[in-house]
Amino acid sequence: MENKAGMEKYLNQGIKDVILEFPEIGDILNEYNIGCVTCNVGSCLLKDIVKIHALPPEQEDELLSRIAEIIYPGIALVKPKIEKRHQYQPKGIKYSPPVRKLVDEHILIKRWLALIPRITEKLDIQENWGRELIINGIDFMRFYADKFHHAKEEDILFKYFNENLDIIKSMYLDHEAGRSHVRAVAQALENKDKEAVVKHLIEYKNLLKEHIKKEDEILYPWMDRGFSIKQIGELFDKFNKAEEQMNKDILEKLKRFITKTEEQQMKRKRIKQEVLK
Amino acid sequence: MMEGCPGSRMQDLRNKEEISEDESGKRKSQLGQWPIQLHLVSPVAPYYEKADVLLTADCVAYALADYHKDYLKGRSIAIACPKLDEGQEDYLEKIRSWLEDSNINTLTVMIMQVPCCMGLVGLARQALEISKRKVPIKSIVISLKGDILSEEWI
Repeated sequence: MENKAGMEKYLNQGIKDVILEFPEIGDILNEYNIGCVTCNVGSCLLKDIVKIHALPPEQEDELLSRIAEIIYPGIALVKPKIEKRHQYQPKGIKYSPPVRKLVDEHILIKRWLALIPRITEKLDIQENWGRELIINGIDFMRFYADKFHHAKEEDILFKYFNENLDIIKSMYLDHEAGRSHVRAVAQALENKDKEAVVKHLIEYKNLLKEHIKKEDEILYPWMDRGFSIKQIGELFDKFNKAEEQMNKDILEKLKRFITKTEEQQMKRKRIKQEVLK
Repeated sequence: MMEGCPGSRMQDLRNKEEISEDESGKRKSQLGQWPIQLHLVSPVAPYYEKADVLLTADCVAYALADYHKDYLKGRSIAIACPKLDEGQEDYLEKIRSWLEDSNINTLTVMIMQVPCCMGLVGLARQALEISKRKVPIKSIVISLKGDILSEEWI
């Protein structure tokens, strides 16, 4: 993909240099009302110029294709793309950096929740693999979801708010209910009670799924709207410090557990599909 | 019709109608330091230590009427022009030094809507990438008429 890398180079180059090398590009920009030719500074990057003029998507595609055709005439190109990180019309929820950390942690937790119905379907806790799977799952729920993620909320984030507010109280209740399901799973495993293991895992999944949805869509955006810039910086710093105190090897091990379990489930699904053919 | 680069295109923004705003009384400057130009400041000056820093493109304070009251108050600043200033590699190093040496709390980059101004956000982003210490960085884009077009974490 040499020409793709080449396009990246030109997208990241000052417009004056681009037009000097390819004067036709100046004419093309003029057609789209982008008047860089007359600028005697010309330090704006080609990608920023295209982005800031906010052309309709089809026009932007057309413009980029025409520029690519000038730079690499007659070569079939991967269409150059401008990264849309700075769109002036924000869509969807935009989180502050510290809150973004929590939302990103939710993603790994949701991957575990998505695995629960699949692993409980054929679970055998009499076998070593089945017991090990549940023990690792308990570790993930205790250390990653609770000691790493929920602790940051309870010890840091929620302290910025009146903890008697119903919405905060309900988050605490969810955390407690989650802990109680994890304890119940551990107890059921010890009792070799497969039905109870499955029941509490499924209840944990249903609880956390709703809990995360409430946080991502309602609680976090509401909190973010109320934070001052100073508080955002403090919160980010406190989260970083809390993360530094966690054992990185354990966190990595838990992340690997999720990825490995997903791979095993995918493999099982493929084998099942093969058998059904 | 060709209208030229938005960064240097002539535009007459004078009010055609009289707007009755109460402009009486004097406002206090919120500037808490000197110097302010990014080439002149030391990134380890005491007023940057753990501060919420405002990196403002030169033109912003002229366009944004409430710059002092709404943005400068309580913050340390530096100003720069990503289009005309030379020695931008020094700028990059100073921003990195804010993050790593002065342990700034946050960085807010305020720019005009013209494309050349994006370079200042680009510098902040680059500094964040090379810095060992990360802090929240926000970009605020101001229109030529002094409206806030966007506020976004980067």
